[in-house]
Amino acid sequence: MARKNDPLMKMAPAGILAWILPGAGHYFLGQRGLGIVLFVTISFAYGVGLAVGGVKNSVNPRANGWLFLAEMGVGGYTVLGYVVSERLPDYGVKEPSPYVSYYPESDVAQIYLAIGGLLNLLAILDALMRAQTGGAPVFYLEAERSSQPKAEETDQ
Amino acid sequence: MIAALDQLLGWIPFIHPAPLPPGARLWMFLPLAACVATVYRVTRAKSARELPLATLKTFVTIVAGMCLIAIAAYVIHAGVLHFSEG
Repeated sequence: MARKNDPLMKMAPAGILAWILPGAGHYFLGQRGLGIVLFVTISFAYGVGLAVGGVKNSVNPRANGWLFLAEMGVGGYTVLGYVVSERLPDYGVKEPSPYVSYYPESDVAQIYLAIGGLLNLLAILDALMRAQTGGAPVFYLEAERSSQPKAEETDQ
Repeated sequence: MIAALDQLLGWIPFIHPAPLPPGARLWMFLPLAACVATVYRVTRAKSARELPLATLKTFVTIVAGMCLIAIAAYVIHAGVLHFSEG
């Protein structure tokens, strides 16, 4: 039963859920308000990028490997996007594809998608740390730790 | 199935790229800055109630910082052009 209360046991599900769906890790940990805010914010950034860029070239490791790596911060959306992207037909070099965005839309899409993925990476790390600390953000723990030695010094 | 849906509907969001209005590229920075400010503040908040004011402060800081960087870049660019012409 002690193992059930172990904060480390919450880390894996919180991290995986946060990777699959933005904010799900925080929701699982009981931080429902923060989870909803994360879901709306990160889904908005990723959704705008995907809407402006189109799924065909925006979620495609062969078209842009580094962008795909950044997008993989939001695993659920990116895997789904990749599956859809693979099902769309390829067009020749000479004819413009209706599924592919061009400059300047492609630039905006790439920035939004990459930022969305990287922001979710931040959210995953935050969910992992909150699982360890029982819900408190790391910032508060850092503040407590930095204030502890000062208190000991004043005692002496 | 997607191809059939495509023929039926003509335009499907996320499948067909949405065109941006001219001049919108610059203003697309603002929602992105709001997203960054919100997620950053979530990682430092104990509850969602702390978020609105803190997010607004961070958003204004980001936008002001980016404006200062843009002004500095413009001044450097203008200076380089001025001295390279002379």
